[in-house]
Amino acid sequence: MKNTLKVERAILNLTQDELAQKIGVSRQTINSIETNRYVPSTLLALKLSALFDKPVNEFFKIEEND
Amino acid sequence: MNKNKICDSEERRIHRLVNFKLPNHWKKIGWGLFFLSLGLLLLNRFVDVNHAIFKTILKNIILVGLLIITISKEKIEDELVENLRSKAFSFAFIIGVVYVLIQPLINYLVFLIVKPQNANYEDLGDFQILWFLLIVYLTAFWFLKRRNQ
Repeated sequence: MKNTLKVERAILNLTQDELAQKIGVSRQTINSIETNRYVPSTLLALKLSALFDKPVNEFFKIEEND
Repeated sequence: MNKNKICDSEERRIHRLVNFKLPNHWKKIGWGLFFLSLGLLLLNRFVDVNHAIFKTILKNIILVGLLIITISKEKIEDELVENLRSKAFSFAFIIGVVYVLIQPLINYLVFLIVKPQNANYEDLGDFQILWFLLIVYLTAFWFLKRRNQ
């Protein structure tokens, strides 16, 4: 699965730390999601969706081998 | 009470136990207990005061210290940390079982080859197994956390 979290974060002009604080996780979690090392839970994805004001599948995309 | 209710109550009990975590500051207490007992145990070796009960108590305090560190929360305990924790637990469990199966064999082979004087072949003790499990868990957890910095 790939994501455009970094782009969405840049649109809102947020650092990893600021985004992490807004959704109640650590900066490491945001970094791991952005570098595709960690796939977040539905709950976290929905929190991001509410913050970016976009549906989840606009910034999380399934790849062919998923 | 029907079967479903019993299963639900068992499940709740398991969840309560699995989700139980001590506050973050307990980690320092755990490390303190660990190093203090380890220090005293090493000192005991040099001083050569061979109190079996004293040694057993110190070994138990080492295990308690490591257990406290294991169940203490991180500064920010989120879903990634939970995920890394369960990976580290699985890894430690598998490695622990392999260790218990293989180590006595290696010990025995070394014993046969080296044949140390005045030494008897010893099987794995519970301290050795638990210590190994906790150390492998903490090392794996630390490594996974570092990878996700």
